[in-house]
Amino acid sequence: MKYSRWLVIIPYFFLATLPLCWLLLTSLKTQEAAISSTASLIPTTAENLAPGDLSFSVTLDAYRKLATPHTGKAHAFFHYLLNSVIIGLLSTLTSVVLGTGCAYGFSRFRIAGARDWLFFILSTRFLPPLAVVVPVLMMYRVFNLPNTHLGLILLYTAFNLSLAVWLMKGFIDEIPRAYEEAALVDGYSPLQAFYKIILPHSATGMAVTAVFCLISAWNEYGFALALNNAEAVTVPVYFAGLQGNIQGIPWPQIAAGVLIFVVPIAVFTVLVRNHLLRGVTFGTIKQ
Amino acid sequence: MRVKDGVLKYGFVGPALIFLIAFNIFPLFYNIYLSFTDAELSGGATQLIGGRNYGVIFDDTRYSTALRTTGLFVVLAVATELILGFALALALQKPFWGKPVITTILLVPMMLSPAVMGLYWNFILNGHYGVVNQALSVFGLFQPQWLTDPDLKLFSILMIDIWMWTPFMMLIALAGLNAIPNHLYEAAAIDRASRWTIFRRITLPLCSPLLFLAVLLRTTDALKQFDLVMAVTGPNDRATQTLSALLYQVMFRGYKIGLGSSYSIVILLIVIALASIFIRYIASIQAKQGRESA
Repeated sequence: MKYSRWLVIIPYFFLATLPLCWLLLTSLKTQEAAISSTASLIPTTAENLAPGDLSFSVTLDAYRKLATPHTGKAHAFFHYLLNSVIIGLLSTLTSVVLGTGCAYGFSRFRIAGARDWLFFILSTRFLPPLAVVVPVLMMYRVFNLPNTHLGLILLYTAFNLSLAVWLMKGFIDEIPRAYEEAALVDGYSPLQAFYKIILPHSATGMAVTAVFCLISAWNEYGFALALNNAEAVTVPVYFAGLQGNIQGIPWPQIAAGVLIFVVPIAVFTVLVRNHLLRGVTFGTIKQ
Repeated sequence: MRVKDGVLKYGFVGPALIFLIAFNIFPLFYNIYLSFTDAELSGGATQLIGGRNYGVIFDDTRYSTALRTTGLFVVLAVATELILGFALALALQKPFWGKPVITTILLVPMMLSPAVMGLYWNFILNGHYGVVNQALSVFGLFQPQWLTDPDLKLFSILMIDIWMWTPFMMLIALAGLNAIPNHLYEAAAIDRASRWTIFRRITLPLCSPLLFLAVLLRTTDALKQFDLVMAVTGPNDRATQTLSALLYQVMFRGYKIGLGSSYSIVILLIVIALASIFIRYIASIQAKQGRESA
């Protein structure tokens, strides 16, 4: 029975990682090799391979072509990647700042109806984007915000705040109150105690929270699709927009783009692996 | 702490709360108002038309089909992910060589963008040059048209969802398994309990609170299924049109936001009901933790 676990792990591991390995292989192929009716599996540097060969010659063309705009698109892939980076980073920054302050307030002060407020904050995470996006769009039209980076940054901040508040409250609750009380006795003001005691001690928590906010802003599609059609288009919306010309989809380029887009996320996942459970359960389960 | 902290504390919690009210409470109520109007996305004069939009719901077969599709999708996706994820967690429970690396690699798919990976799965599942069908042809097996056969499209989306979210169930199930105290297993070994009895009497009951939490979270999420449908078939495919896809079609392709808003009320009610179950459950877990640590 000792080895029975492998009967489950090996087949699942193989099936689950195959799409990701195939992504890498495809990004190194030419379009012809990518959509040939005989799949080639082994990368080689040899050229002029016989048709039907299991190996294919490696090319970095797909990565190079990412710098030039695709037919029918105004900009190259990197333009959309930059949009994703700007919107992701700034919305993450604002949600972590606002979320940390809010979490500290709920963690340390007596606030009327604190429990109800916290559960209201949590409940905002559950609203389906498509059911609230139209009123947001109408509101944005008044302030000229559709099709802007700022519009998406504000929306993602609101979307991620619930996660940021709940995660940060979990982290701040773990810092002993005695630390601040000692600081107050030493003559610190409450605000100084927050800056000099709480912030340094919750640095890990803020980093973990930032990673989760960044990932959900990075991956978001519904809001970005509904609010943008020309400027501030993020990578998920750009890729989905290539879907129309089904015969002409440049698969190696898409694979290269997808790889560039998901590698940072995979790296972040590894970095926060010990906090994943907290992240996906809003900090309610700690381990 | 001190009385003069009165202003300070609202300075801490205020900005976040104002933000959340502006982006959630206002849209929610505005949505309800819109559902009683004939508003169009292009703007122009809007009239209150009473409950006429709600009357349309019951005649619109797209709506009942979308409800059925969404329900079927949620049940099949969540059940499969739960069973697979729990099986994986059981296999990964005890320490072995390579466990941390394997576990981390398995968790990666759930962190990726569904819209982007959904598009890429089109390539994997393509009927002519997709790697899945090429593998099937090597073994001389039948090669289904995953993306164009109306009977298979929803199944294909389901497969991608299972690929993405089984790790989520696995992660939470692993936490549940790790929290089971070892002395229970030791006592069971002394009693010569069979593996099945141990599983049924110890493992499953002690894990089930966390599994329930995972099922609730996945259900509210799967109910909103939109990204994968858009990536695989687009919003207007009868075989795969979930409620969110129908909303998108009606509001952003048909420009009927009044009608769309009334369609969205039902999904909102379901999601709010599930969210409140989730919140009550979290509250009871927290109360229990509080008692234990006190």
